[in-house]
Amino acid sequence: MESKFTEMYQKEPAEENGNGCEQVINLLDLMVDGEASAEEQHFFNKHIEECVNCFENHQKQKLLKGLISGHLKRVIVPESLAQTIKAKIQETI
Amino acid sequence: MSEQTGKQLSKEEKDARFEAELLPVLDPLYNFAYRLTLDEDDANDLVQETYLKAYRFFDYFEQGTNAKAWLFRILKNSFINEFRKKSKQPAKVDYSEVEGYYNTDDVEGDSGVATTTDMRSESVQDLIGDEVASALNTLPVDFRTVIILCDLEGFTYEEMAKILDIPIGTVRSRLHRARNSLKEKLEKYAKTMGYNS
Ligand SMILES: [Zn+2]
Repeated sequence: MESKFTEMYQKEPAEENGNGCEQVINLLDLMVDGEASAEEQHFFNKHIEECVNCFENHQKQKLLKGLISGHLKRVIVPESLAQTIKAKIQETI
Repeated sequence: MSEQTGKQLSKEEKDARFEAELLPVLDPLYNFAYRLTLDEDDANDLVQETYLKAYRFFDYFEQGTNAKAWLFRILKNSFINEFRKKSKQPAKVDYSEVEGYYNTDDVEGDSGVATTTDMRSESVQDLIGDEVASALNTLPVDFRTVIILCDLEGFTYEEMAKILDIPIGTVRSRLHRARNSLKEKLEKYAKTMGYNS
């Protein structure tokens, strides 16, 4: 019992010294892609409330994803393409 | 809503079902093909080939399942096969050239208007879009692919793993490296434009 307690106790300062940051960095993609588990989200959100670096990294990662989803222009499908496909399919037995 | 009636369908019924279920994916599929090939004619061919293959294997497609992921997977496989054939020859196009061509071509009728009207937010948005596109297009095709699937088309990691035939762990690491690489390129651009992050 006692050893487990001291083990847990010892882990905390280590986390503040960068281990938590490393884990958070590994979770960045999962967070912005909505793939993190509830537990991971909780750990992540708790960490970035207190860590400016990781908070900023998260902002940057969201921005990067937003650049693609919000700014990359979609190309326009040639008007004839759907007709061509339908015609080819009708020929196929 | 009866299942497993695929075999008994008449050709007309099959065609109608095919069109109703798979043609709505045409737009994202063409965009994916274009981002892979960076060429409008190649994208056109690739999409046609994909639909013909899908038609041939339509009996194996389970109605109501993810048609989009299914078509993306067929297209990706066709692209790899085509690409292997073509890669025996020297590179056909210079990507930056294609992108330049695409950018001027894409704006079409609107371009004249856009340049005469002053810097409205829309043209600023276009500039950002162009820059994102050219940064993306300089990435290796594997990196480009995961970014398109994830950020533009919103596939989950699991769907991406199925489309690409790779484990989820590989999806994650590839996406991570792709984003770092894209970040680097966009940061360079931001610096040349005089922005500091
Ligand atoms: Zn941190």
